[in-house]
Amino acid sequence: MRALWNACTRKGGKGALPEEKSKLLQQQQPAPQLQHQLSANHLVVAPTSLVKVESAMILLPGASRVLQQVLLSRLRSTEKPTEVDFHLTEFDDVRYHIKASAKEPKQVLLSICLPPPPPSTVLVAGLPFGAIEAVKGTFGAVSQVVDPPENDYHLTLNVDIWSFPTDEALADQLITKLASLRSVVLGAPLREILKHLATKTVAPDADSLIALMHRPKEAYFIVPQAEKVTVVFPMRFKDNNDVILGTSFLQEFMEARRSPGLSTAPPCVWSPKAPAEIMKDKKEEEPNAGWVSFGEKLDKLVWILSTFYAYVSYHIKCSKGFMHTRMRRRVETLIQVLNRAKPEVEKERKSMSGRSFKRAV
Amino acid sequence: MDRLDSFKGEPDRRLFVDPTSRPAVVIDNGTGYTKMGFAGNVEPCFIIPTVVAVNESFLGQPATPTGKGAWGGSALHSAGVMADLDFFIGDEALARKDANAYTLSYPIRHGQVENWDTMERFWQQCIFNYLRCDPEDHYFLLTESPLTAPETREYTGEIMFETFNVPGLYIAVQAVLALAAGYTTTKCEMTGVVVDAGDGMTHVVPVADGYVIGSSIKSVPIAGRDLNIFIQQLMRERGEPVPPEDSLDISRRIKEMYCYTCADIVKEFGKHDKEPAKYIKQWSGTHTKKGIPYKIDIGYERFLAPEVFFSPEIYSSDFTVPLPEIVDKCIQTSPIDTRRALYKNIVLSGGSTMFKDFQRRLQRDIKKIVDTRLTASETRTGGGHKAQAVDVNVVGHHMQRYAVWFGGSVLASTPDFYKACHTKAEYEEYGSSICRTNPVFKGMY
Repeated sequence: MRALWNACTRKGGKGALPEEKSKLLQQQQPAPQLQHQLSANHLVVAPTSLVKVESAMILLPGASRVLQQVLLSRLRSTEKPTEVDFHLTEFDDVRYHIKASAKEPKQVLLSICLPPPPPSTVLVAGLPFGAIEAVKGTFGAVSQVVDPPENDYHLTLNVDIWSFPTDEALADQLITKLASLRSVVLGAPLREILKHLATKTVAPDADSLIALMHRPKEAYFIVPQAEKVTVVFPMRFKDNNDVILGTSFLQEFMEARRSPGLSTAPPCVWSPKAPAEIMKDKKEEEPNAGWVSFGEKLDKLVWILSTFYAYVSYHIKCSKGFMHTRMRRRVETLIQVLNRAKPEVEKERKSMSGRSFKRAV
Repeated sequence: MDRLDSFKGEPDRRLFVDPTSRPAVVIDNGTGYTKMGFAGNVEPCFIIPTVVAVNESFLGQPATPTGKGAWGGSALHSAGVMADLDFFIGDEALARKDANAYTLSYPIRHGQVENWDTMERFWQQCIFNYLRCDPEDHYFLLTESPLTAPETREYTGEIMFETFNVPGLYIAVQAVLALAAGYTTTKCEMTGVVVDAGDGMTHVVPVADGYVIGSSIKSVPIAGRDLNIFIQQLMRERGEPVPPEDSLDISRRIKEMYCYTCADIVKEFGKHDKEPAKYIKQWSGTHTKKGIPYKIDIGYERFLAPEVFFSPEIYSSDFTVPLPEIVDKCIQTSPIDTRRALYKNIVLSGGSTMFKDFQRRLQRDIKKIVDTRLTASETRTGGGHKAQAVDVNVVGHHMQRYAVWFGGSVLASTPDFYKACHTKAEYEEYGSSICRTNPVFKGMY
């Protein structure tokens, strides 16, 4: 996206948008037969280039606001508790159900349903590998895993608000963590791999290529090695315009490393063809030094990777919105110019006696 | 290699799950507050002020005719790179009203979208940051005021389909949704008058069988915001030590917490004077800037503020018709065969109808007007003709504050909703003009 953006601004300034856009469109769609490849682009990205946060809303926050809000009000609110029952759908078809009755306000039932899995992923009882252990490890102190889970859901937690830590900061942290349940569940296998990377080992039983659940019926791929981990995302967009915007956005990821502030960012490769790792032809070198060394960052990383699609899609929409803003401004200035060019209305002429008349044309 | 089959070539259409299997997103953008959530829920997930705090610093440069405007220079360019994301909505925006870099923008004025730039951004944040869903995955139900121009509807459709790629869109009239909110409590009655008093405008909208009777819509330029100003005035005149920078916000909170509707204003004054301890409330707070604590007495404004609806002359000299009279006039100008049904079902909606006993007072006053007219016509005919009494019924329910949203949630969870929506395919085929009309669908009965 930013590439398109730069092109628009650098070369032509304000007015250049439509022409530049069409030029870019031509560049990216050189021949019709290439088009289908664009819609199934593959992106190899190593993640710290994303971790650089400049403003809060560049990245999507990991925790669900509604869940956070409900849990917080259960913990802090002094008002009479009311019944809460929300069905929520998040990015990539993750569904939540949070429920608490008025009678037992401190017992909250939180269920999560994952998207339909792609055939290539390995699931244990509908959940990714190691998810149950991760959930128990993270929330064991404050919640119980309900077995069997609620109908239509994959995992149900019974959260006991009474057992929350009394320290406010700790409790807040825990609530944020609970609200990012999907990241714990879906990210469990990825977390495992990244932890191994930190110690520069490969899990003994690891495949050379691991497919992880990402979106409904879609997977992303991980190639774990001792020195580096390569993450490969297939990018599919529904809308043709989005394909183009998304492509230039992804290409900008590759460019990003050249700017001085980001030289330590891990490399990122975008290619219209499936990369070598996936094709298993040859191995690509991707040195990556110590970017997942401590806990908090690891969580963030896992979240960013597991919602990469939503991230790109979000920015496509933002960019579109911004372009529309500029288009509107442009139209406004053009209208101003038009108004200025309007011929002045001819003044009515009056005769000596004060009568006016129109001349026949 | 078999696991890569799903991976190559064209995106497999089967990968995309049908959006109609997911709950629709319901967003009710009001002048004051936006209510949003997923269809099928009882409550909206969020009720946030409709306000955007924008960092205008990057837009402020004057546009020059050469096209080398704000974006020409490279320094400006790098400063502005992230500026398009540098904005906040809702309470987060209000929290930044004192920050220098940000200016507050209220995209909706008097129920109409005024600033499309900030409106688009507002929606973007609602979807991605608050509801946290992918707009391509969900059908959308948006609302509009009954007086919205079709062009506005087109523009809304354009933004929704072009920017957010929504698969389907339905733009409903707020009044119709407010009627539908009664769906669960009683049998769904799609004929009635909706008294919708929000923050910016009050509308009285007659609806017959789900269709708005456009020619009889009455609007009142008095709504929640005016009550805030009125309370502020009263307190200022009495000399309460309210910090001026927060006074409007405090009066809003006083209104929400302490105001009620009285049956008779003269008696109410007497009551207050007799038992001040019982009726006069206290409010204490601290200066947001100076940190000095202060105390305010809340007296007559408790009943005088809602009284503005019933005797507007105490607040404004331009508009002096009381609300009950307007409701009556609205019904009287509607088609004659609908009038009895309309009197029977007068539905309240919007936050400014939440005052205690508002419903009873309105019902009593309308009934009085109707009865006077009936006796007058009886005496005119010489008492020979006895008219059948008119049943006046003002309906309020506990969902009143977000009745519009709730009605939307109910309707959008019926299967007929998806058929009534305009789809993206239709939009691409016919253009934004399809959004001009939004058919009444079966779920509404």
